[in-house]
Amino acid sequence: MGDAGNGETFVEARGLRREYRVGPSTVHALDGLDLDVRRGEVLAVLGVSGSGKSTLLHLLGGLDTPTSGSVLVDGRDLATFTSRERTVYRRTVVGFVFQSYYLVPSLTAAENIALALTFQGTVGAERRRQATEALRRVGLEARAGHRPSQLSGGEQQRVALARAIVHAPPLLLADEPTGNLDRSTAEDVMALVREIHHDLGATVVLVTHDQEMASRVADRIVHLRDGRLTKEEGAAP
Amino acid sequence: MLLALGGLRRTRLRVGLTALGVTIASGALVSMVAFALGIQAQAEAPFKALGLINVIRISPEKGDDAAALDDEALARIEALPGVEVAYPEFRVRGIEIARGEQKAKVMAVGVPRQVPLIGTADDLIVAGEYFTPGDAPEALLAVPLARELGFETPEAAVGTTVDLNASGLAPGDAETFTFTRKDLTVTIAGVYTLPSMMPGRMGRVVLLPVDVMKDIPGIRAAPALDRLRDGRGGAGAGYAKATVRVHRHTDLAPVEEAIQAMGFRTRTLLSRLEKMRTFFVVVDVLLAAVGTVALVVAGLGIINTLLISVLERYQEIGICKAIGASDGDLVVLFLTEAGIIGLLGGVGGIVLGRAASWLLELAVNAYARSQGLTTHLDLFAFPLWLLAATALFSVVISVLAGVYPAFRAARVDPIQALRRE
Repeated sequence: MGDAGNGETFVEARGLRREYRVGPSTVHALDGLDLDVRRGEVLAVLGVSGSGKSTLLHLLGGLDTPTSGSVLVDGRDLATFTSRERTVYRRTVVGFVFQSYYLVPSLTAAENIALALTFQGTVGAERRRQATEALRRVGLEARAGHRPSQLSGGEQQRVALARAIVHAPPLLLADEPTGNLDRSTAEDVMALVREIHHDLGATVVLVTHDQEMASRVADRIVHLRDGRLTKEEGAAP
Repeated sequence: MLLALGGLRRTRLRVGLTALGVTIASGALVSMVAFALGIQAQAEAPFKALGLINVIRISPEKGDDAAALDDEALARIEALPGVEVAYPEFRVRGIEIARGEQKAKVMAVGVPRQVPLIGTADDLIVAGEYFTPGDAPEALLAVPLARELGFETPEAAVGTTVDLNASGLAPGDAETFTFTRKDLTVTIAGVYTLPSMMPGRMGRVVLLPVDVMKDIPGIRAAPALDRLRDGRGGAGAGYAKATVRVHRHTDLAPVEEAIQAMGFRTRTLLSRLEKMRTFFVVVDVLLAAVGTVALVVAGLGIINTLLISVLERYQEIGICKAIGASDGDLVVLFLTEAGIIGLLGGVGGIVLGRAASWLLELAVNAYARSQGLTTHLDLFAFPLWLLAATALFSVVISVLAGVYPAFRAARVDPIQALRRE
């Protein structure tokens, strides 16, 4: 495994609670969770479906707001952010990778990456250059003009990864990135995640239910169950 | 833009049908306004073509001490700032024009030799040219008259001579008039065509220089008779009427005022034309309103299409938010899509409106020809500003229609959107 972080806390969740109203009942997706993520480490969050993994990631990524509790990233409390600041936070600090890739089907691989750059205000030749560079980093330069439907699952996830890291975010959030991939492809993608982590020095929070995969790539593993952390394991061997 | 085009590309049929709705609406709008403009242009054409807009007709006041409308008065009027030309108005009916055995009774109208009859005279002269400087006895014939005199083409008439036979009363020294006949041989300098929608009888007109008209018998009888009726001597009578042409229509008011101050009556066509224009503005607005209603209905189609698009692309909207799109970005995205539909529809509408107008004009002209009308009727006018305004209006209406769907898209909760598979 690579760098285990420099010990400084980059992401800090305190008493994180997220409840959803589903009809007459209340679902406690996260139930008073405390978590520290050190700068530069790869943290795997393990848990079964419905344990609150994705909710945690959405809260860390500023896509959602907690019912109570706080998320501090680099010392700044996301709860104090305005809508505009949350958007800027998602643009500049966070890179998202999802299980279902979530590429825009009408756009080519290069255009999907360029789209993220557009939202960040990068345009023209510089946008093209950065998109090409991101595709080169994930080994898909030759597939720049292909649409998602013309790419395999592994290739689509690599494009999604390129899109997530094109702006060199300090925080990469990956939600079951290998959940839809076969073993061999999944290992390729995870190797890529490690490589990018190494090159960019990004802090990675990886949500998965695959214990073996988590052990192989993560510096640290935490277990999530019913919205609470139940166990923490140290750096993987 | 990429995302907007991609979104539209994915639902080509739906977007195509929506744009078709805008096309039909903007086509109706552009062709209806073009029709109003075309009819207005047709109605104004004779005035413009004959230079009547910049014309003041003057006549002497009645009464003993009324100023005489003579050459001296005309010279003073011509010296006024803004005046292009002032000349006596001569119209004499019943003049016989003959070319060998071919004869016709025509009306002779005097026009100034020194400047073209009208600003756009060159457009009306189909063969030959306007009068040459000097005092050569020349004439301009209307196309139907040239045909009546046996000229196969207008060009064949140019340079040939025709005989004019005029007769009338010439005022003597005191209270006597002499019946005089005069034969005049004139060279045809040119042949002119009449603006469309001019009354048919205008085809039997020969235009003569004012200096030639002065020699036509009977030309001065009417004002002399008027003076005699008023108890004054017949001698020294000026002209019954005169025409003053100004350079620009803005010169009309001051020149008219100055002429009135000289003691003459004035009459212009501009006031009548202004009333006509007001009427056409009302027609324009009414037709544009009908077209706008059609476009607003098409706008409802755009709202529908984009709302469906928001629902279909719910997840895509969530992705965009996750990768950094702001609410504003999504508003711009959907407004761009609406604008593209509007632009496509607007341009399509212009093409459709143009094509439909062309076909209609073709049919109307074919019918008009079957009814013996020889002039081509331009029923529709498509000035550049109308085309640009149609496209712009179509885009504006479409963008307005896109506002609600755009804000719906901006309000999408990214978490819910990403959860939807």
